[in-house]
Order: sequence, then C-alpha cells, then structure tokens
Amino acid sequence: DNEAGRYKESYSKLRNWVHSSLDLYKTELLRILYPVFVHCYMELVAKGFAQEAREFFQSFRDDHQPQHIRDLQKLEGVITPQHLQENETACTLQENKVHVKMCQYSFELLLQYLQSTESMLMLGIVNSHINLKAVLPGQPAALVDDDESSSLPAKVQAVVEATNQKEIHWGILEGSLEDKFEKQIAAELEKADADKDAETDEAKKRAADGKVKRVKRDKAGKGLKAEPAARSVPRLKPELTMPLLTDDFERQALDDLRNRVKLGSTALPSVSCYTFVNTNNSLNCASISADGAYLAGGFSDSAIKLWDMVKMGEPSMYSDAGKQSLNKRPTSIRHYIRLVGHAGPVYGVDFSPEGDSLLSASGDCTIRLWSTRLNANLACYKGHNYPVWDVQYSPVGHYFASASYDRTARVWSMDRLQPLRIMAGHLSDVDCVQWHVNCNYIATGSSDKTVRLWDVQTGECVRIFTGHRSMIVSIAMSPDGLFMASGDEDGAIMMWDLASSRCVTPLLGHTGCVWSLAFSGEGSILASGSADNTVRLWDVNGSSKVTADKTRRLRLLKTLPTKSTPIYTLRFSRRNLLFVAGAFSPSKGH
Amino acid sequence: MSIVPKETIHVIAQSIGISNLHDDVAAALAPDVEYRMREIMQEAIKCMRHSKRSVLTTDDVNTALSLRNVEPLYGFASGDPLRFRRAVGHSDLFFIDDRELDCKEITEAPLTKAPLDTAVMAHWLAIEGIQPAIPENVPIDPLSAPPEVKKSDIPGLKPDQMTVDLKLPVKHVLSRELQLYFEKITELIVTGADDVLLKDVFASLATDSGLHPLVPYFTQFIADEVTRGLNDLPLLFSLMRVARSLLLNPHIHIEPYLHQLMPSVVTCLVAKRLGGKNFVNHWELRDFTATLIAFICKRFGHAYYNLQTRVTKTLLHAFLDPKRAMTQHYGAVKGIAALGSKLVRLLILPNLEVYINLLLPEMSSQDQANELKRYEAIRVYGALQAAAGNCIYEMLQSAPPSRKKPANNKSQSTTRKDVDGDASMHEEDGADDKDEGVKRRRRALSEAWKEDVEVGDLINSLVDLFGEEMLPFIPMREMSKCIL
Repeated sequence: DNEAGRYKESYSKLRNWVHSSLDLYKTELLRILYPVFVHCYMELVAKGFAQEAREFFQSFRDDHQPQHIRDLQKLEGVITPQHLQENETACTLQENKVHVKMCQYSFELLLQYLQSTESMLMLGIVNSHINLKAVLPGQPAALVDDDESSSLPAKVQAVVEATNQKEIHWGILEGSLEDKFEKQIAAELEKADADKDAETDEAKKRAADGKVKRVKRDKAGKGLKAEPAARSVPRLKPELTMPLLTDDFERQALDDLRNRVKLGSTALPSVSCYTFVNTNNSLNCASISADGAYLAGGFSDSAIKLWDMVKMGEPSMYSDAGKQSLNKRPTSIRHYIRLVGHAGPVYGVDFSPEGDSLLSASGDCTIRLWSTRLNANLACYKGHNYPVWDVQYSPVGHYFASASYDRTARVWSMDRLQPLRIMAGHLSDVDCVQWHVNCNYIATGSSDKTVRLWDVQTGECVRIFTGHRSMIVSIAMSPDGLFMASGDEDGAIMMWDLASSRCVTPLLGHTGCVWSLAFSGEGSILASGSADNTVRLWDVNGSSKVTADKTRRLRLLKTLPTKSTPIYTLRFSRRNLLFVAGAFSPSKGH
Repeated sequence: MSIVPKETIHVIAQSIGISNLHDDVAAALAPDVEYRMREIMQEAIKCMRHSKRSVLTTDDVNTALSLRNVEPLYGFASGDPLRFRRAVGHSDLFFIDDRELDCKEITEAPLTKAPLDTAVMAHWLAIEGIQPAIPENVPIDPLSAPPEVKKSDIPGLKPDQMTVDLKLPVKHVLSRELQLYFEKITELIVTGADDVLLKDVFASLATDSGLHPLVPYFTQFIADEVTRGLNDLPLLFSLMRVARSLLLNPHIHIEPYLHQLMPSVVTCLVAKRLGGKNFVNHWELRDFTATLIAFICKRFGHAYYNLQTRVTKTLLHAFLDPKRAMTQHYGAVKGIAALGSKLVRLLILPNLEVYINLLLPEMSSQDQANELKRYEAIRVYGALQAAAGNCIYEMLQSAPPSRKKPANNKSQSTTRKDVDGDASMHEEDGADDKDEGVKRRRRALSEAWKEDVEVGDLINSLVDLFGEEMLPFIPMREMSKCIL
C-alpha cells in the first residue's frame, strides 16, 4: 500500500519540479513526463494495485490528454497484469525504450534532481524505459521538428532511420501517358522547327510572304516548348510488365491531356459535386471514374450501387426538348445498377483507369472485380484473413493493391487469384493504400500513425514517415512523383518529400477526418475532402519550390463548404475538372 | 475500482443460472469485463471510421464482435438511434424502450410506405473556384444581408429588364414577446382601459427601446382604427396619444412611416364630425391634434421638406372653403395657429375680414336658429381671435413697435396704395376720404404677411373687426407700447 502511494508522490514531485523549472529548459524536460507517467501506471498495474493505478491515471491524465488522447483511451482499460500482456499499446511501450532528446544542461539538471531527491522509483523508470540522449553540449537547441519522436519507441526510431537511407527512384514512368504526351509535343515541336528551317531557306526567295508565317509558327512553338522545359522529371524503366493500352483509350487520354485546363493559385478548378441522398447512413465509400462518367458507392448492406452519370447526363447537354417533355421525372434522379456479391460491408471501391471495371473491398475479407459493361462479378480475390479496408488500381490498371485489418497490404494482378506480394510491417491496421505514379511503389497509411512506402518489386519497406498524431485515412501522390500528401483522422494533412522522407509542411485547417486527397493533373493544386463538410484547395507550387525553407506553409486557396455533405471521395479528371462525392447527411437533433 | 461493479457480475451470473457465484470471483471478473468492453468499443470505433461515419451504430459493435469471433448481439440493429428510458425510482438505471408487439397486429396492419431509394444528384459546387448561388450550395454568407443592388441605379438598364429581377419577399421576424406586447397594447386601447393603465401604456410607448419592429404595425393600427372609429371619441383620443408617444420615443426611427401616419392625424383635426353624439367635446381632440401636427412638422420638417407645405395646403383648403362645416374650419384655424404666427399672418389675417363677415351672421341668434351651429360658429370666432391675438403677441415680442414710425409708414403705405392698391382693395374705392384710417387698417390686415407691416395698424384693425373683446387676447404690457 505504501509502495503504491510512493509512485504518485514521486511522480507529482517530478511534475512540479519540471513545471517550476526555467522556461529555457522546461520544454525539453516536459518530454520526459509522458513516458514516466505511462510507465508508472503500468508498473502499478503490474504489481496489482488496480485501485491505485486507476486513481493515479485519473489524477494526471489531463496533462497528456491533448497530445496522447488515443493512446490514453487504449490504456485506460488496462487494469490487471494479464491485460498488460494483451494490450497492443502496452506491449509496444514495454518492449521498446523511448527516445528522448535533450541538451546537455537539461540532461544534467534532470540527473541532479533524480539523485538529490533520492527518488529511486523515478530513476528506475528513466533508467529502464527511457533512452535519454544528450544531443548537444550547451544551450537547448530548437528541437521542435523532432517533437513527435519522443512518443515513438526507440526500436522503431532506429528502423525508421535505417529504412529512410534506402534509395528510391521517384521519377515518372517511361511510356506512361504523360511521357507519351510530352514526346508527342516534342515531336510536333521538332516538326515545326524543321518546317521553320525549311521555310527560312524558302524565305530568302519569298521574303515578304514568309515573314508573316514565321512569326505565327514562332508563337505556336514557344507555347508548346514552355511546358516540357518546366519539368525535368527523370524517366524510369518499369519494373513490372506493363499492360497494353487500347488505341482508342490512349488516343482519348492524350486528347484529354492536350485539352487540360491549366490550374494554379489564380486559376481554380471547377468542382462538380455528386451528392448521394437517402442513404440512411449506409454509404461507406464512393468512387468516381477518371472521366466522371461512372459513380460507385459501397454500402454497409454489402451492395455496390453503380450510377452511369452520362446516361443521366448534364441536363443542359444531353436532354433535348422533346425527351424532356415526354419524361416528366426530374432528370437528375435516375436508377442505378446494383451489384450484389459481397457478404459484408463494402469498405472500398475503385474504378480502373479505363473505367470498364470496378474493384471492391469488403468486410467479408474478399476483393471482388466487377465489369461496368456487363454489370456482373468477374472474379473474387481471397487472401486477406480480416476485413479489407481499401483497394486501389495501379495507374496503368491491371495491378491493384489492398489494405487490411490484418496489418498487411497486398499487391495483386487481375489474372491471378493469389496476391503477388504481401507487405508486412505495420504495427496496426493498414487503413489506406496509394500507388506511386510510376507503379514501382505503393504507400500505405496505418492506425500506427505512420505512412510507409513499399517497393512493389522486392516487397521491402523503403520509407517510413512519422509525424501524424492519429490514424491515417487518405494518401495522394503528386503527378511528378516527388511528393506525397497524407491526411489523418484529426484533420491534419502532411506534405512529404519522398526522397528525404521529411515533412515539407503540415496543412492545418480541416476539423474532421480527411477522407480524400487529390492532386490536380499538373500537380499545382491539392484538393482535400473532409468529414467537416468542406472541400479545400491548397496551393502546392508555392512551397514545393522552396523546400529548404521549412517555415513556409502551403497556402490554403479556397474553402468550399457543402450542404451537410461530408466528402467521401474526390478526383481530378484528366482535363482537370474536380469531381467530389459525398452522402447528404442532415444533422438530426439527438 | 472498476466501472463495472461486482453486483452487475452477480446479476449476469444469475441470469445464466449460476446462483452461488463467489464474491471473489465476481470482483476478479469485473475489471476484465471492463477491459473487454473497452476493447470491443475500440474495434467498433475503427469500423465506424471505415464506414466514414461519426456516429457509432449497433452494426459497428456487431462487426467488432464478429472480428473477435464473438457471436453478435441480435435484435438491436436499427436505423434509428436507440431510446433509453430511466427506470422509475433509480437515478442511474436505464433500459431500452422495447415494447411487446402483437404479431397479429403487425400482419394485419397496412403496409408502410417504402423508404425513399438512394439516389445521386449532381450540381456545381464551384465554377472556376467561385461557388454559384444555387440552392444546392451553402448560402454564401448567411449573416450578412444580400447586397442591395438597385437596378434603377445601374445606367443603361432598360425597364423591361428590371421585371426579370424578382424581389424576394422580405421575411420579417417578430419575436413572441413583441407580438404579445402589441396585442396587449392594442387591446387596451380598443377596449378603453382606465386612465392610469393608459397612462402607463403611453409612457411605455414613449420610452421603451426595442419597439422599432412594431412601428409599421402601430401605424397601420392607428390608420385602421381611425377610419373605423370616427364616432368613438375616447378611442380617437387614445390613438392620437399613441401616435404622440411613438413620435416622442427617442429609440424609434419613425420617419419612413410618417406618410402612413399623417392622414390619420389630419383626419382627427379637420374631420367634419368626430365622435358620435353632437355634443361631445371634440374640440379638445382637435386642439390636441393641432399641437401634435405642429410637433411633427417641427421635428421632421427637415427630413420631409414638403411635409409642412402639404399640411398647410390641406388646412388652408378647409379654411377657405365656405361649404365646409364649422368644425372643419375650427380645426383648420387651430392647426394653422399651432404651426406658428408666421402662417397666421400669411394665411389667416389676409382673409380675416371677409371671413368674419361671413361668420357674423352665423353667430347671431336671428339668422341662425340652430343652437348647435351657432355654438360652432362662436367656437370658430374664438379660435380666430385666439390665433390673431397670439400672432400679434409674438410679433410684439420679436419686434417692439416704435413711436416714430407712423408718419413714415403712412407715406410708405400710401405710395404703395398708388401702385397696387387698386387690385387689392377694389371694393373700397368708393369709400370716404375721411375713412382713410379705416382703409389703412384694412390694408394692414391684407398685407399682414409682409415683413414691414405696422403692428399698431394690425391691432387697430383687429379691434375694429373683433371689437373690444380682442384686447384681452393681446398681452397688456406690450400693448401699452403701441399707439392706438
């Protein structure tokens, strides 16, 4: 009994000492409090003082509430020694030492305090669970950027550092649509140049006539030239065998790219909003095809509903007067196709790049492939042992990746029923998955608050991004393959530099889960859709040029509120029209 | 220790047939139950997140249970939130309101309407970054009023284009308290409460802030009640007092409603008949209203530059029309008098002589047999006298007469007579020369509006007209300074 009381007494003494210390050292010393608090609690539990442990926890939890609320919630129920061994959070904390960096002075101050007060309990905890690191001799350094590392287990920290040394190739793919598009333009440019050369010869003969023409050509040439010169993204050979694209699709896609609207901080996109009504809270996810023609929704009653938006049509474009008078129904409401096959809630749907097939991930541990032409189920991929949270097609189609409750992400190809790769390493659920533009990597976001980048060919983890404070719910890759954005449950968005694995800038503004993120076609705008009923547009160019300057933040360009519609998904079409979709959920008084 | 008390464990044990559960076992189980429950809830929250919801449902809990290989709890799945009820006699015991249903009833009941099917609507959330103002979008700024663009102000806009711009009806929200207040006040006024209460009512109307939203209703009320209750003198009186109180209230911005209020007020001044019976004292009301009109003109004259001219025009018409009733004449005279001595000089004095000549027969008992009419004529006569007297009084106060002037004045006025005397004094052409004095006095009357008119002459002429009774209307001290 006396022993239990001593924990509380020594901890509150330490706490008082830290809070009354000089401001200069206070910020550094405060970092020690959370790990000491957690371990005090766990030791109390381990020794069987359940009652005292609960009291101890309640009296100090408010200190750590803002930063560690989710961990505290998980630890709160742990009362018996047996729970300690079962609880995921408790296990990681016990197995790993926590890294705490501080300057030499603070370190000495702390040691002196612990020795002089002879609080052996505290000294013991610090000794066995905390890896104190006196990084700099002298003054306390600005260690703000390492703020998050205090809560990260030391072992993980080491892995992160080792992993992030690996080399990655972040260029875009040779033979991809963008590449082809630029080559096409370059070819045209050369042709124009050749024409011009030929013309200059002729011009000597026909001076007056030629001059006018040349001026015109020059202008045309410059316009096209400016674009490829702006980006110097390296080209990569694909590591996977690439599927062949149909000629029709390729022609159409190239045409789209040619007609792409140039977006920027001054030219904002048009946003088309698809609103699901009468869903009765049963819509779990949604997806829009690349051209915005199809819209799919995954429901908690295991069904997938598919809307053909072209048939429904933009009223002004497709409905001629005769039809409208004949058909009195409002043109915006149409019937859908219901795809039945799953035996659990559908948590993720995704359209293939060509829009002819659809993948769905479900709580029944399977992934299903559907054809939007035949409106039928084509294949069922079994491999995960637990619910599949997310699924995504690769940018070229054919391959796809899935994320699951079983803490793995898997890479599949459409023609095999077994996965090609299993990516294991996350410490908790894998919640979302995103392909890199060059198809050589996939990024996964997890409930362990990290984002990882995996090499598809080797199945190795090549990057770990730490910094989020809660579960990752969405990821997006910039079209040039340099940057990645990830959104979490609390509404924070982080922009990462893939090569250095550093956070370029946090984007703060959302107040609800960021369900969806998307970069515009040329990568100048990031759009985010959130549970707080807003779509936000962020200026990417502003900061990505100045990566060295860390204080610089991505600018929020525009906030577009919706009418009680949380945004479930958003995507830019190839022509840079932004499509967003969400379920209308009017708030009811509880 | 644990949020699950060991009594709960006992109860659950009994419910599955274990009646003799040891106390220690229950105490050991309780914290574990709590831990398992928390665990399930964590899992359920995870499912909720992946369903992109922010409200936990029973389905989420069932999914979490099946993830842990536990049999789900059947019978709780429902689209609606569960309704918990408090057990009678216990402060912290709740149960789900789950009534027993008769199967027969259900099968015999008519089919309920099928819920609406899921559908998709498409709209533009933004066009090139700008949110269009369509009903599907959130109102751009619900707090600020939409900018008032007056189409007529835009140059080059044709009138036919203006019709396209539909003006939405303005929603006017009146709080429940204000509605009650209005109802109470109007009721008191219409039913005619006792004086003390009415006094409070008027005091409230004159001083309370926050009555502004009611102003249009009150002006409308006054207008309606005046037209309806012309025979009810107390009502009219109360209404005028309401008007006065509203005008006095410093928190009310009444200007926009004056045009609605004025007709009612003027009616109460110059109406032919106010109050039902013939002998009621409507004179008092007319006097009161006259001062009210004067007050309005004085206070809002600057805002409405034509307010006073319009009022005086109406009054002058009533005054100069011999066909009008005496009561109307009385009101007009009172009204003009209340508006100030300048107007009396301008409008009444020049017409006084003619008017008195018409009035005198009405007053004599030989010519006018009707007692009432004679009385009315006498009232008008009195009003005229008072007006003229007041006018002279004010003139004397502002410009005391000098003794030296007369000679000069005389020559001046004679020269003027040569110029324009013919027209104005046509009927006096044949008058005797010895009546030069009388002539001069009459001219003084008709020229009373002029700035340089001689006060002495005016007084003399008035005395001529009204006789010696005129004198008491003119204060003595100033009188003494005058030459008679």
